[in-house]
Amino acid sequence: MLIFDADAWIICPIVFPLAASIFFFLSRRTGPVAAPVAALATGVSIIILLRQLLLFGPRHYYIGGWQAPLGITLRFDGPAVLMLAMTGLTGIGITLYARGYFSFRIAAPKRVGRHERQERFFWPLWMMLWAAMNGLFLSSDIFNLYVTMELVSIAAVALAALSGKPASQIAAIRYLLVSFLGSLSYLLGVVFLYKTYGILDLDMLQDIAGAAPGTRVALALITIGLLLKTALFPMHFWLPPAHANALAPVSAILSGLVVKGSFYLLFRFWFEVFSGAISIGALNMLGILGAGAILWGALQAMRQQRLKLLVAYSTVSQLGYLFIAFPLASLEGNMKVWGAVIFMAMAHACAKSAMFMAAGTIYLHIGHDRINELVGIRAYLPVTALAYAIAGVNLMGLPPSGGFIAKWLLLSASFNSMQWWWGVVVMVGSLLASVYVYRVVCQLFIIPEGYTIKKQYPRSHLLEWPAFTLALISLLLGLFAPYPLHILTIGSSNVATIIPGGPP
Amino acid sequence: MLTTAPAKYRRKRIDPLVVLVFFLLAGVTAMLGRTICIMPQQMPGLENEVARHLHNSGVASPVTAVLLNFRGYDTLLEVMVLFLAVLGVWSLTRATFVGYMGDVSPVQLAMVRLLAPFMFLVAAYLVWQGSHLAGGAFQGGAVLGGAGVLMLITDLPWLPMVPARPLRCGLALGPVVFLSVALGCLIWSGGFLVYPLQAAAFLLVLIEAACALSIGLTLAALFVGGRPYGELMEEQPYEGGSGQGDE
Repeated sequence: MLIFDADAWIICPIVFPLAASIFFFLSRRTGPVAAPVAALATGVSIIILLRQLLLFGPRHYYIGGWQAPLGITLRFDGPAVLMLAMTGLTGIGITLYARGYFSFRIAAPKRVGRHERQERFFWPLWMMLWAAMNGLFLSSDIFNLYVTMELVSIAAVALAALSGKPASQIAAIRYLLVSFLGSLSYLLGVVFLYKTYGILDLDMLQDIAGAAPGTRVALALITIGLLLKTALFPMHFWLPPAHANALAPVSAILSGLVVKGSFYLLFRFWFEVFSGAISIGALNMLGILGAGAILWGALQAMRQQRLKLLVAYSTVSQLGYLFIAFPLASLEGNMKVWGAVIFMAMAHACAKSAMFMAAGTIYLHIGHDRINELVGIRAYLPVTALAYAIAGVNLMGLPPSGGFIAKWLLLSASFNSMQWWWGVVVMVGSLLASVYVYRVVCQLFIIPEGYTIKKQYPRSHLLEWPAFTLALISLLLGLFAPYPLHILTIGSSNVATIIPGGPP
Repeated sequence: MLTTAPAKYRRKRIDPLVVLVFFLLAGVTAMLGRTICIMPQQMPGLENEVARHLHNSGVASPVTAVLLNFRGYDTLLEVMVLFLAVLGVWSLTRATFVGYMGDVSPVQLAMVRLLAPFMFLVAAYLVWQGSHLAGGAFQGGAVLGGAGVLMLITDLPWLPMVPARPLRCGLALGPVVFLSVALGCLIWSGGFLVYPLQAAAFLLVLIEAACALSIGLTLAALFVGGRPYGELMEEQPYEGGSGQGDE
């Protein structure tokens, strides 16, 4: 009996990259050719999921046909599908860029062996990371979430160390230790939850979790673990060196996508599972840390001398906005703040990966990324310079970018709920962002008197256009704001459940 | 007259940060201990649920049933974690295995030559036993890995000549078989990892065997700590130094 259930599409965003990863490990030479195909297939499966969500509403999928307390449940609802879409869009862009990046480097005659190694291992690691991210967004089981986070961490650390420089390896080891500390803390929290309630399913926990002592400890442990992984100030110390010393496509992956995974979990845990156990004080604490991240990250970014470090510190700063949403969500209603958070995450994913790609392209062409010597890049990398500027517009939060919509939602939420001080932090953060964005953009676009292009560089469209497209998407995201917000609200309607194949 | 005491008599200064971290950790530990003490203990967990559905799982051992059937998706991802570990280590460096002592004693050589086949047998037995008693892919794989480590430190002459491609295939065998069975179930019985009841026992043992082989190879490969020679083009290692100006 051959039945291919329509509900089974939910596993495709996990299985496609997973299979691609194993395939690229086994057959080394197919990576550059087949990776865009795998990325496209994953993207198509996400589009189908989105369509199913619009048609039928949120679903649950019981893996193996085992119902919730026994088996593992996957679910897709508005936030999950939007995060999948974010990963898919950025992932396709990064895949194309990585192809251009590695072929550009391999074309250079020096150190061929190293570049070959980096490319051969980049594809399976990246595909595995992508599969694990998708699994993380879809999973509804707290232990399964731990496993997906483990996959994400190991793949991310291996990618961060791929460049082989001593600096990047030191940063990667630190990243590994912090990441494992976070994972273990999370796991300990899971143990407390399981000991208290005897179940692992998120939806069932949401129904019965109260303010028992075990729940509070679990909440604290899980939060600390996830905060370490998300690099919230002052736990951000590992992020700038790890992100800035990696290869350019890897930086884009780490900064644009990986930190969003643990943040997404944190938000879900706080406002779905533990909504009974959290206190206003704890929410304000996270908000304060977020405000600290915004200001400290921006100030550090303004001080940097190297472009990639500047972009990495701006990630620290931008992550802070996501945490400003916590104290606002408690008073202003979850859906609206979910909207702000999702917008921030999506816009930042596109813009930040575009920025890192642009920085990587500049590095490839001129051999350094010292900000003070970037004068005149526009003359021979016009598309890249424009991509960087557009992404900067998004970080500053000017209309019509997605960052503007997110900040607007945050501002209105903060004033509506009489917590105007969070709104002030958001505005000051945007002002500081414009300082560190203009610092670079001015350099890129100035062409001094008598400036001549010293060297003819080979053109590579795959290096320039993916970054530009992603930057443009982040800019135009604000114009399409109603659609993602509509998708989000689907999640609050009733949940249909389907058991594949029937109970065995 | 010298007034400073010799270095060994001088008291070491204690970093205040270390003290702070120590007290913080001690406080957290005490808090966790207290919570464990006051937590209600009556929660049964999922044992009853597992026992109720065990006859539908295709195996008689509850541990195997949970690992491969009820929570098979977790195990699928765990197998991927091990695969990813090898992938990560291989992406860093070539194998420069330092275990060659040069003077492997004949006793060791004879012992390992005797032991290794037995360990393979034990591993196979553990995998088979997993269907009804304690045992399974991870236990079998651990024994296989141990055998691999023993052979590696004994410097068997044919080991460095193992070609890279079969090694890669062996490492990927477990993930490939597991994923194929999961997808096959999707086509055969309409759900991801929904084993058809008649074939469940066979499929589980098949998955266990393939995963045990891959886990054993993974552990041995991690012990070596790098990819085999001839896997990729040779490259010069980075010189230490500024760490700038290359990528």
